[in-house]
Amino acid sequence: MTRPFAILVVEDGTEYTDAFRNLAATPLELVRASDLEEARRVLAGRAVDAVFLDVVFDRTAPGKLAGDREELIRRFGGDRPRAERHLAENQGFYLLAELAPVLPTGIPVVLAYDFSAEPGRLAALRKTWERLVGLPDGTPVTQVLDSLLAEVRRQSGDDPAEPGGKIPKR
Amino acid sequence: MIAATAGALVLLAALGDCPEDAATLAAEADSLVAAGVPRPDTASLDRARRLYRRARVLAPSPAYSLRAADLACAAGDEEECGDLLSEAAETSPGSLSTSDRLVLARRAESRRAWRHAIVQYRALKSSAPDVSLASWADAQVRRLEIEEEAQAIPAPAAVPPPEARLALAEARRALAAGDLPKARERVGIAQRLAPGYPEAALVLAGLETREGRVPEAIRAYRETLAADPNRVEALVGLANLLWDEPDRAAKEEALSLTDRAAASRPDAPSLLRTAALRWAEWGDAPNALSRLDAYRRRVGPEEKRTTDSLRETLARRVDAALSGAVPPEEAEAPELSSPAVDEWKVAQAYVRRGDAASLAAALDHLREAERRDPTFAPAPELAGAVYEKQGDLSLAQKAYERAIAADPARAATYDRLAFLLARQPGKETEAVEAWRRAEQAGSSEAPFALAESAVREGRRGDALALYRRYLAESPGGVHTEEVTRSIARLESRQRQGRGALGAAAAAFLLAAAFLAFRRFGGRTFAEWIRANPARAREARPVVGRLRHEVVKHGGLLLADATKRLSEPDAEARGRTAALLQSRLFGGSGARGLLAESADAFERLRVLAREDGVRLNLERKDPLFSPIAGGCAILRRLERPLSRIAEDGDADPGTVSRLERAADLFGSASGAGISRALDDASSTIVRRSDLQGILEAICAEKGLDPCPALEWKGPELAVRIHRADWETIWRNLFGNALDASSREVRLGVFSELRRDAVTGAPVARIVLADDAARPLTSDMIRGRGADRGWGIVADLLRRSDGSADVSPAPAAGFAKGVVLEVPAVEPEAPA
Repeated sequence: MTRPFAILVVEDGTEYTDAFRNLAATPLELVRASDLEEARRVLAGRAVDAVFLDVVFDRTAPGKLAGDREELIRRFGGDRPRAERHLAENQGFYLLAELAPVLPTGIPVVLAYDFSAEPGRLAALRKTWERLVGLPDGTPVTQVLDSLLAEVRRQSGDDPAEPGGKIPKR
Repeated sequence: MIAATAGALVLLAALGDCPEDAATLAAEADSLVAAGVPRPDTASLDRARRLYRRARVLAPSPAYSLRAADLACAAGDEEECGDLLSEAAETSPGSLSTSDRLVLARRAESRRAWRHAIVQYRALKSSAPDVSLASWADAQVRRLEIEEEAQAIPAPAAVPPPEARLALAEARRALAAGDLPKARERVGIAQRLAPGYPEAALVLAGLETREGRVPEAIRAYRETLAADPNRVEALVGLANLLWDEPDRAAKEEALSLTDRAAASRPDAPSLLRTAALRWAEWGDAPNALSRLDAYRRRVGPEEKRTTDSLRETLARRVDAALSGAVPPEEAEAPELSSPAVDEWKVAQAYVRRGDAASLAAALDHLREAERRDPTFAPAPELAGAVYEKQGDLSLAQKAYERAIAADPARAATYDRLAFLLARQPGKETEAVEAWRRAEQAGSSEAPFALAESAVREGRRGDALALYRRYLAESPGGVHTEEVTRSIARLESRQRQGRGALGAAAAAFLLAAAFLAFRRFGGRTFAEWIRANPARAREARPVVGRLRHEVVKHGGLLLADATKRLSEPDAEARGRTAALLQSRLFGGSGARGLLAESADAFERLRVLAREDGVRLNLERKDPLFSPIAGGCAILRRLERPLSRIAEDGDADPGTVSRLERAADLFGSASGAGISRALDDASSTIVRRSDLQGILEAICAEKGLDPCPALEWKGPELAVRIHRADWETIWRNLFGNALDASSREVRLGVFSELRRDAVTGAPVARIVLADDAARPLTSDMIRGRGADRGWGIVADLLRRSDGSADVSPAPAAGFAKGVVLEVPAVEPEAPA
């Protein structure tokens, strides 16, 4: 790989981007998007090697959250605040569903959610994106990035590891 | 009258007879049905009735009306017979015989026109030829007076849905924390979800009183009383506000309300003193004196002495008889729809009479009410009160427990049970437990009772918190004065206690005890949530945020940041320290990991405190103590990190402490915390459990044999409180059994599904039946639905679930009710 490893980080703040920028052991190109529309624009405009999705977006205006708000309001018996809270607290999952059709084939996606006690849930989500990985609680930044890099290398044929392995906790 | 005459003339014309005089017409009619003539045939009877109609048009008279009534009765036309008798009774009451009166009384009774029936029975009694008939009529009058009184009694308010109760609990928390805008917002939600919800109106009244909005507070108290006329806190609060109003009517109402409150709570003599003082101020010495004497009989010598002078003054002024008071009119609240309401109302009317025979009669009606609707809680609750009056405390306790089982959300029943237990020696622990349950159900009396219990047990801190909460929620409450005094006393003791800690030995012992208490006292999160699984719903989002914002971000940052601080590059060290500073202590719009952690711990502590539990997350809890320990270390690093951010010099002590914090965060198990929640609060859906619930419903309905539940699919664990789950199935089975007049076939089909977006597990459970009665999704959703379905929909919504109607899931069934509920992730195969 001649250019630096490029990761699209979708988050409502800058916590992950700052942590990756300051603590990564390898050179990285970090592209941050704060919501679905921005993420779509980035993906339409440039190539990335991996995507990192935060889960909770409680600093994003409800109108900018991905997901069918009206359907959720119906599901929650007309309780709009509850529906919006659900969307904010699970936004990473909704972003994955919305971005999957426009993601470059085969790139790894990290969702900042610990699936270690819910393997069935991860398996179900891999039907949406096969190379989805979770983020076990307590995993250091360097380990997240190393695993992503290994995934990208494996995809490009440099590494024979199994696809879609979750990031191991240190 | 003109219209009636015109109608009569039309009738005459239709008859085709020439107008004759009334007497001739009557005579002709009588000859057709005269005594001695064999039983007249239908044609003769009809002809005679027509002739009398004409005679009455030409010359109306009570005699013709009565005779026409006889003919109508003979022809079996009870309606006309009754109308004619009524007509005669209006114009010539004395002309009616006892049997005529009986006909009218029976007719009025069948129309539930109790007042009219009473008038007829009274007339029958006065004209009865013998004593036994008069006595029988008198008994009928007494019975109908009860019916009439019962009709005027409003049915109890509808059970508030779980969302309303939840919103009210949040309002109470906000009120206790002094967050009045939030309290107002949440109580508004509770009221919108459950109009006429007395607890919500009471909290609003407290809020308005605290903010000095008197007219609004008065309105809220009135709303409380409309739904719960005997709510003492509302009686007292409203009386206090009205007494301070300048107009006479308000003061009169305040006097009446104070008397009602005092009568409802004989165990609170301060109410009698307040009543006495108000009557005295009002200028009614006899009333003031009687209340003051009642107060003095109930209190000790010290309190008695303080009222000696007032009594003397009043005694000199007494020169008039006692006078009564009229209770204020009350607004209407939505009524609880139940087949038991009428029986309950009759029982209420009997209870108001209070004599032994009436109480026994009330119990008969309450038994019938319970038989008609076992879920109608006011019936067993009233039965409990009757048993208490009769002195049978054991039956009273059982009745209250039945009422609680029928409606676990009814705070008043818990209050009554707790008062009952508290009165019985040896049942103090049970009483405290009942108060705890009352508190969870939203009782405003419970914080006071629990505070008193805490004082007795030496838990002054808890007592202070509970007393303050009582004042916050019931500023005009029954115990306001005592609570204010108790708070002052406890605060003073606290201050004295602090002074006494000067002695070194005592300080050492206390410190040791304190350390032991901090280490071993209190409960762990898992212990608390296991004992209070209903709290899982509120705890889950707090835990979710803690996992995401603290455990995940802490783990992500700390280990790498620590390594980076040991690197030789000073600039890198400075950047890392700045990053840590920002992430730990907040910045760029984020609150910071430490604030997030403190907030989550505090929110869990507040929730547990509401259950009377002190959480020891920091030292005793294996799941939370690593996080707490890590945060405690990090909290002390603000200045060292700031220094490193400025000059890049990382001292070994700071790095070592960061390493220790990183290790602690690395050992924290967010999944473990979530598992503790799931283990405590989930319910496994088992065939045997559902069959058990079904059999219990069959037994209640007298159905034998009970259908065997057909089952297809796995047993699943659902994220819903067991009690809620059982209530849902009781309603589902009850409705399914009611929907068919023959033996019904019931099947349960379970499967685990996944949310299409989040992949979260969802249990889809279908109850299928072969009953022909149609059922649609609209019929089972929302508050507009029948009572049983409304409960099902509410409980499911509360647990993020839903209910729907589907086509038959298998051959031989007519339809299915589909429940979708969040499920617990099944364990992965080993």
